[in-house]
Amino acid sequence: MLQAYWYITKMKLLTNLTYRFEVFTAVATNLILTLASVFLWQTAYKGGSGAVETLTLQDVTTYTILSITLSTIFVCGVQDTIYYKIREGQIVTDFYRPIPLLACYLADDIGDMLSSLMNKALPLIMFASIFFGIPWPASFQSFLLFLPSCLLSYAILWLLSALVGLIAFWVMELGNMGMVKDSIVRVLSGSIVPLWFFPDSVQTVSKFLPFQYTYQTPLGIYIGNTNAGDALTAMSVQAAWIVILFLFLAAGWARTKKKTLIQGG
Amino acid sequence: MVSSIKHYVSVASCFARLAVQRQLEYPLFLFSWLLMIPIQYFSGIWMLKIIVDRFQPLNGWDFPQLTFLYGLGLISHGIFVVFFINTWSIDHMVINGGFDRLLLRPMNVFFQLIASYVNFIGLIDCIPGIIIFIYGCEIAGFEWSLVNIGKLILVLIGGILIRAAMFTGLGAIAFWTKRNGSMVSFALTMLERATMYPLSMYPYFLQALFTFVIPIGFISFYPAAEFLGTDNGGLELPLSFALWTPVAGLVCFLLASVIFRYGMKNYESAGS
Repeated sequence: MLQAYWYITKMKLLTNLTYRFEVFTAVATNLILTLASVFLWQTAYKGGSGAVETLTLQDVTTYTILSITLSTIFVCGVQDTIYYKIREGQIVTDFYRPIPLLACYLADDIGDMLSSLMNKALPLIMFASIFFGIPWPASFQSFLLFLPSCLLSYAILWLLSALVGLIAFWVMELGNMGMVKDSIVRVLSGSIVPLWFFPDSVQTVSKFLPFQYTYQTPLGIYIGNTNAGDALTAMSVQAAWIVILFLFLAAGWARTKKKTLIQGG
Repeated sequence: MVSSIKHYVSVASCFARLAVQRQLEYPLFLFSWLLMIPIQYFSGIWMLKIIVDRFQPLNGWDFPQLTFLYGLGLISHGIFVVFFINTWSIDHMVINGGFDRLLLRPMNVFFQLIASYVNFIGLIDCIPGIIIFIYGCEIAGFEWSLVNIGKLILVLIGGILIRAAMFTGLGAIAFWTKRNGSMVSFALTMLERATMYPLSMYPYFLQALFTFVIPIGFISFYPAAEFLGTDNGGLELPLSFALWTPVAGLVCFLLASVIFRYGMKNYESAGS
């Protein structure tokens, strides 16, 4: 059973590794983004004005580099996949497959993720290290906690993405709502500016939304702003969100199947 | 001469009508763009506000001035996207043979390339641009005098020409290599960071690069600094930047069209 998924993942991985030139420009784009963001922080911290903050410039630099790196690894193609398959009508043939469809799409995305890890994330970290020094974690322990937290983050992001993808079954003609979700996630996940800098009211609201648990949680653990005890609490919140989103997705998916049958292809 | 101009205008308006009709065929499709683009840019300016509030003005640029700069950069991006978006797809046209069609018609090729797609959807980029810019003018105390309005128009025209030249030059690479990869997203990121944020944040090397080699500092940063009297990183030129921007735009544009023409001589159809 797992072999089928591994095959999908492997094929995706191999396909991605053949397109080299695209990869080169993707790394360059992310590098520009990293440089520009770090220079912005350096300007903000200039003249010791950041002394009142809990984060040092080094922390924020590490945070930014890692945040952009994570965004290249966290591939959630599922929303686009569902959208285009429905638009082109290919979703019908996909339903014929003898394995669960969403799991196939997940296997696809994991293949993307593995290839991005090699040909996008690693080069980006290397170049960024040349400019700003290696972004070390706060301690070995925080690095060990960072890894599982990242996996949980990815699960949240993927489930959100799949849920938004389902919207296409009902209102395909509204275009790809995944883009809208992405632009909200970028801000509220703390991936550009950590939420700790936001006004208090926004921080309070954000605690009850899934977004900050996707980027800020693992990155906060990595730079040591979240201590080990809080990290475990944060990870259990992540897990809780995964359960909630999974239940939503399961319920939504069951309905969409009926919906597709009604449309008749 | 007059008749040929008339001919070009009539062809352009016909193309424009077709393009707008094509995009309005499914109006609801615009919905996701209509949500996404404003969210993206309003949150961008919000991030700047959070940083400035929490820390300090960025190299002497306080929030009202940053808003002015951000809005100016975004408007010129928006107008560019409406009229010149086809420069992004030159490599596609080379690969799928669409470019051959342009060569067969008895008209200027570059004109056809640009005129054949008026990107009506690009107006959505202009909406947050205009709102942010007007708000920026309001809080930064920009004076709406006739001279300033004239300068603003010159700056916008110059800025759009610089952008158009950049993407035409990049697109022309495809004549030699058959593809220019995703250079477009690379250039877009660079432009956004250099035109909507103060250029003086970056190291001197980059400032010099974006002033003398690829003059994107002229699109919005230098003019905005002059309008508001803020620190521009130390570049001093005689006369107003409102004159230098269109000059830079024209020079770049001529250069790009030379490259484009030279590239076309080199062009051999992809043959499929």
